[in-house]
Amino acid sequence: MLKGITKRYSDVTAADGLDLTVNDQEYLCLLGPTGAGKTTALRVIAGLTAPDEGTVHFDQRDVTSVEPEHRNAVLLSQTYSLFPTMTVAENIMFGPDIRNVPDRDKEQMLVSLLDLVRLTGRAGSYPRELSGGMQQRCALVRAIATSPDVLLLDEPLRALDARLRIDLRRELKSLAKTLGLTVVHVTHDQDEALVMADRIAIIRDGRIVQVGTPSQVFNEPASPFVANFVGQSNFFTGTVVSSGPDGSEVEDDAGHRMKSRPTDVPVGEKAVLAVKVGHTRLLKLEAAKLQGRIERMLFEGRVVHVDVDVDGVGRFSAKIPASHGGRYQVGDEIGVGWNRNKAKLFPYPEGGLENELRVD
Amino acid sequence: MPLVEMKGVSKRFGKVVASSGIDLRIEDGEYVTILGPSGCGKTTLIRMIAGILEPSEGKVLIGGRDMDGVPIEERDIGYVFQNIALFPHLNMLENVSYGPIVKDVSEEERVSVPRQYLELVNLLDRMSMFPSALSGGEQQKVALARALASGARLLLLDEPLSALDARVRMDLRYELRRITKDLGLTVLHVTHDQEEAMTVSDRIVLMRNGRIMESGSPEQMYRAPKELFTANFIGETNLLDGVVAVSGDDRTLVEVRDGSVVEAQPSGFEPGDAVVLSVRPERVHALNEGLKAVVRSMSFMGTYIRVTAEADSEDILEFDIPVPRGGDFNVGDNIHLGWSMGSALVYQRPPGGIAEAVKLE
Repeated sequence: MLKGITKRYSDVTAADGLDLTVNDQEYLCLLGPTGAGKTTALRVIAGLTAPDEGTVHFDQRDVTSVEPEHRNAVLLSQTYSLFPTMTVAENIMFGPDIRNVPDRDKEQMLVSLLDLVRLTGRAGSYPRELSGGMQQRCALVRAIATSPDVLLLDEPLRALDARLRIDLRRELKSLAKTLGLTVVHVTHDQDEALVMADRIAIIRDGRIVQVGTPSQVFNEPASPFVANFVGQSNFFTGTVVSSGPDGSEVEDDAGHRMKSRPTDVPVGEKAVLAVKVGHTRLLKLEAAKLQGRIERMLFEGRVVHVDVDVDGVGRFSAKIPASHGGRYQVGDEIGVGWNRNKAKLFPYPEGGLENELRVD
Repeated sequence: MPLVEMKGVSKRFGKVVASSGIDLRIEDGEYVTILGPSGCGKTTLIRMIAGILEPSEGKVLIGGRDMDGVPIEERDIGYVFQNIALFPHLNMLENVSYGPIVKDVSEEERVSVPRQYLELVNLLDRMSMFPSALSGGEQQKVALARALASGARLLLLDEPLSALDARVRMDLRYELRRITKDLGLTVLHVTHDQEEAMTVSDRIVLMRNGRIMESGSPEQMYRAPKELFTANFIGETNLLDGVVAVSGDDRTLVEVRDGSVVEAQPSGFEPGDAVVLSVRPERVHALNEGLKAVVRSMSFMGTYIRVTAEADSEDILEFDIPVPRGGDFNVGDNIHLGWSMGSALVYQRPPGGIAEAVKLE
């Protein structure tokens, strides 16, 4: 658990009053753009970086001033850092806890660890002889071998090919669950977080902006930034003109009136409506309040990505099933809309919408 | 006339064969991605076109001209690297100007051209900033503007988005395609990311072990891959071991390991042939009858739920259901799975096994 952690590097604030609780045996993904402070948070938990302010607790114990080696938290860096002159087996058995295990148990432990990550035939290989995925699994099992209370993973899949990453996501998660590990996994990849996490903590500018299950973060984003970062969103800016228990309505300068779920934003205030690209529908021209022209269609496999340029409002994107792709073509006049329950209203961000949505 | 042509190109580094028997034609104005896993030889290929590496065998032609012995600076290409390579002591405008200055153009163009390309990547307002003050995505856009400003008609992009965050990468894919299409450029883009390849390309060339496995439009490669490796690499797929029971002009019936019979597209195989059936997760549905399976896990994917089920045939099948219908069944439930005939493709069962045929590394 992190309480009010602050860490400054000269003029950069990497952690700015950061609070985070990780539950026992939980798989938590810390998700955010580059420079958000993800790695700093991880290093503070591991004890590799001392916070300027705030405290770190493991269960009830305040470990803020405890040395890393006495915390029983293991951090696996992006680059794996295997010992190049040691074999896979030697790398795995290097962990300090293992060195105290009696020899006969050691042997058995090694066999089961190698089996766990499918490296049994590679025990005698050196890291340079392994593929990226194998090195990653070797580093992982070396970390696990020390039976840590908390496993800290810093972008563990970043160095791997995109297609391989998809397969390893599942393996890594099921390994963690089988062993009952508590994991904090840092990533910039929102798909990875959605698939792997029990809970996602979204971090930006050194602060946690939202914590929740994947479906909470996706369906109930706390800000326009979260709405756009976890699954892309379309935005519609206007003034709240009506509000009731069934929902609200926003109207823009051109008189387009769009519906959303109920909101706390008062009538008369400037607001921004967010709706996920995956929840945005293409409609018959006559049936739609927002009308435009198909600018671009991109085949993405299971879906086709469609960009519609709505006159005077901007671009709206939608994903349609690939089997419907033949119904439309670039240049078609078309309507755009959504089910009001899929749209969420936020107060218009103080620094402007573009600044709020910045991802890099 | 194709703008780039490779004829029987091979490249060896000592005993290692990085490229082998490459035949490739890239038409003027085409956006082609070279896709494949790490170590498949895709970077070697693009470097031979750039003139950074010489082929051990075969010919590289650009605009019909044999490039043998032609140095990189005379090949008229723009090159963008994975690791952003801007000059740290020059501001954005100066960085972009570097191309035209080298190319010896009129004073007027030397000022107007760089501005024009910075505007194209929406960064004109940052022209007096230095690289260190810009984000990774912005720096890579400037690197692109610099490559474009050189006036080259052929653009080589070597993993241009790999160093960037996932979310930034998504936005830049669209930008890359828009900008290069607006300018009518020919692009050769190397990537290991199948989603990126699908989104940006007119055509994907899939490589493995130094060879071209298969090439086609994103849609062809996704809907009708000729190779098992392609089916698994470009998008995810379920692969089931089976034996052909009936082979007709209208469909193929395949018997899977528990004795159930499932449908696939017509294939030309004979009854008794050992095959692998491939069907994409979004094409598999829970039905009233079909393959018997047990739900093993369900995970939230945003707009849909990914279900993993273990069939009585011991095959693991993944499929997607819409979020509102997520409550239809739970982990541990017995279900039946099926798909329409046209959704499944049949391949010859590889002699070395399925795992070997689709191995990613």
